[in-house]
Amino acid sequence: MTRKAGYVSLASMSHADASDTAAAPLSRHLVQRFASIVGEANCISDPAQLVTYECDALPHLRARPGIVVLPKDRDEVVQVVRLAYEAGLAVVPRGSGTGLSGGATPSAGCLLLGLSRMRRILEVDLDNAWMRVEPGVINLDITKRLAPHGYYYAPDPSSAQVCSIGGNVAENSGGAHCLKYGFTTHHVLGLELVLADGSVVELGGPVLDTPGYDLRGAVVGSEGTLGVVTMVTVRICRAPETTRTLLATFKSTADAGNAVSLIIAGGILPAAIEMMDQLAIDAVRSIMGVHLPEVTALLLMDVDGTLAEVEHTAAKASERCRAAGALEVRQPANAAERDAMWRGRKSAFTAMGRLCPNYIVQDGVIPRSQIARVLTEIARLSEHYAVRVANVFHAGDGNLHPLVLYNASIPDEARRAEACSGEIVRLCLSAGGSITGEHGVGKDKAAYMGEMFSETDLETMNLLRCAFDPERRFNPGKVFPTPRLCGDQPGHYKPHAAELDGRIGRG
Amino acid sequence: MIEPGSIEECSAQMAKATRDRQRVAFVGGGTALGLGNLGPEPDVQLGTRRLDRVVDYAPEDQVIVAEAGLTLARLAELAAPNAQWFGVDAPQPERATLGGLVAVGAFGPRRTRYGGMRELLLGLTLVRADGAIAHSGSKVVKNVAGFDLPKVVCGSLGSLGLVARVTLRLHPAPEASQTCIVLDASSADVVDAVRALRRAQLEPSSLVALRRGAGRFDVGARFEGFERGVRRDAERFVEILPSARHAGTDPSLGDGFWRDHATTRTEGELRIRVAALPTDFGHVEGLLEPLLGSLERPRQAWYAGLGLGFASGQLTSDARALEALSLARAGLMRRGGSLVVEAAPKAVRAAFDAFGAAPGAFALMRELKRRFDPDARLNSGRFIGGL
Repeated sequence: MTRKAGYVSLASMSHADASDTAAAPLSRHLVQRFASIVGEANCISDPAQLVTYECDALPHLRARPGIVVLPKDRDEVVQVVRLAYEAGLAVVPRGSGTGLSGGATPSAGCLLLGLSRMRRILEVDLDNAWMRVEPGVINLDITKRLAPHGYYYAPDPSSAQVCSIGGNVAENSGGAHCLKYGFTTHHVLGLELVLADGSVVELGGPVLDTPGYDLRGAVVGSEGTLGVVTMVTVRICRAPETTRTLLATFKSTADAGNAVSLIIAGGILPAAIEMMDQLAIDAVRSIMGVHLPEVTALLLMDVDGTLAEVEHTAAKASERCRAAGALEVRQPANAAERDAMWRGRKSAFTAMGRLCPNYIVQDGVIPRSQIARVLTEIARLSEHYAVRVANVFHAGDGNLHPLVLYNASIPDEARRAEACSGEIVRLCLSAGGSITGEHGVGKDKAAYMGEMFSETDLETMNLLRCAFDPERRFNPGKVFPTPRLCGDQPGHYKPHAAELDGRIGRG
Repeated sequence: MIEPGSIEECSAQMAKATRDRQRVAFVGGGTALGLGNLGPEPDVQLGTRRLDRVVDYAPEDQVIVAEAGLTLARLAELAAPNAQWFGVDAPQPERATLGGLVAVGAFGPRRTRYGGMRELLLGLTLVRADGAIAHSGSKVVKNVAGFDLPKVVCGSLGSLGLVARVTLRLHPAPEASQTCIVLDASSADVVDAVRALRRAQLEPSSLVALRRGAGRFDVGARFEGFERGVRRDAERFVEILPSARHAGTDPSLGDGFWRDHATTRTEGELRIRVAALPTDFGHVEGLLEPLLGSLERPRQAWYAGLGLGFASGQLTSDARALEALSLARAGLMRRGGSLVVEAAPKAVRAAFDAFGAAPGAFALMRELKRRFDPDARLNSGRFIGGL
């Protein structure tokens, strides 16, 4: 669960790692050694400054890192990781810190490895449609660089203006236009990865189908638990000939949900189908810049491709919306109006502040034919727990984002909001879906993993982690509901001198 | 050959093989048994022929859950009444099974639009070496819960476990399909055609060059979608590439082209797969010519937008072929590409590694294999570096 403001539940603390308890400060000598790698200015150990890095975009989960190190390139990352390994420090990688599942929440006393200074675009090959960038490059900057040539990078999380590509790789980020074009994993061709012992491996690359296991596929979405990504080769796309935006309004979310089913069943694959309910519309009404009378639900759609195809599919999508009872289907009059519509959708989370001081965001996925039914169930839960729930989400692929609104200063409201939110996740699971579609498990949803997967399933996933990071140095306490070991250690373990004299411990 | 009738039976067989320290090989439709290295003979063969049930098919969600032994052709029959299809158009659909297609990371020319098995595999049930049954992924099209094991298992050639059940994303079947063909193109023309299509923002679902003689190719572009769009796209293709012939007026042209493509990928005692950057096709052609020149009935197909190709034929001299294979692989690897042997007589397989030099990440791969299959009993020796 993602809570916007200061509220910590006992439930979310119960799966905390032992490493979250207070850690001793790092020795001055060690701090100096890190500083000698990245420079004093890029090595933060002052407690007051460390506060900035205590959380990502999930502020209720907090821990103080032991040190924050901001390397400028791959070689510095290698040296930092190697020293952290030697010193027995856990390493938590962090991009722009926009994650919504606590994936970059530090473990207490860890080394927080900030990759935001690594922002170089290294290589662009338009003819072969790929590009190589450092992990701190901002998602939208890739598209900005390509736009003059008529190319773009497809995955478009709502935070595209600030989130980093390295973070996108960690989370296998999605976005509104992933319905047609796929997620980060479909657009990453290759990775350079620094392992726990400081060794560097290349996985995949611009040429497809590198022989061997698809380890690049393993790393994408692994939430920083397998290594530190220091370079990303992304697939880039030629802009479609044309894109048509449609905004359809409905008198109920059930009608809008049925429209989505009819469109999908009609063999139409729009680039995006987004849904907003009454509360979400209220929050963004002024940003959308379009007159929205008292409608209860809307669908915002992009249909793209070649001109003749788009004309046909847009007409067909409109017709399906009307068949489902749309009050109106309109097209933006110009590019500015289109941008405003999409800006409204993409700023929906932030706009919730207009309605309520606090909210919890869920990211559950359901089979897309069940949207109407599940939204009705969510409304029932909202009533039962006496909290308001706003829905703004990727309807085309069934990825819900129910925002459970509450006011933390009202006694008991936070508890009811959390209970309601938990029931919504279970509702998604019982519909045959997933606990997370794009935000990741992180620390936040780790407790739900055991409801989606069996112990054997989790143990099998852990085998993968053990192959990469047998000592679990990277991002401990994330993804898995309970800490798990890797059994035998490959190779012969030699304790470090600092361990022998008791200055440091392991794990 | 043991043919379990349920996943529980698979689990029992795997556990038994572990107790008895037996090497196990997995067999689906048997279409890709030539792929990979020659390993030690297995003690037990597990066939998935009887595991051919559809567990769940929700047409309205365009998702199907099926057991590993279901064939591609059967899947197509099931989806067709709902105007749906599966985007992986791999060869030999009558024989190829879903589990086998996962094991080899299969794809066909429509990978240009839909991706291959890697992109369309949403979830997986794996029976591990010790018999444990592990699920990963999900039944919805979007999911990031837990590690993406389906990606790792896809293309792992049965080295990590038995693929017992798969969840696949289906797509709406297009209303219309048209193939346009540029006859007698050079490798440079092929590269230019890719560029021209991009510039014109045309989006073919397949784009394949077929070798018609040394250095000469026919290029087939297939457009699929709604009738009107397809017609217009095909017309525009002919506008931008005036030498192209419009198969709209002569459908047999397209049928023959795709038949020849299928032959390239299924016939010949030697079959290889190559990968390189799309713009390197001229080099690829030069690197493969000595090999093709040493074969009888040489054939070559190149997925021009993807940079993936296939070559096949009958051997005339093992020694010549081995030399030509080594040269081609060395040249491709210098350009960041690869050459994988998909089928060859035993003598060639014994003398020439199917995958080539192990990559930089091999230590990780070996460790992954060790974690899943500590005694190296699953499809032993067939995968990269003898894993």
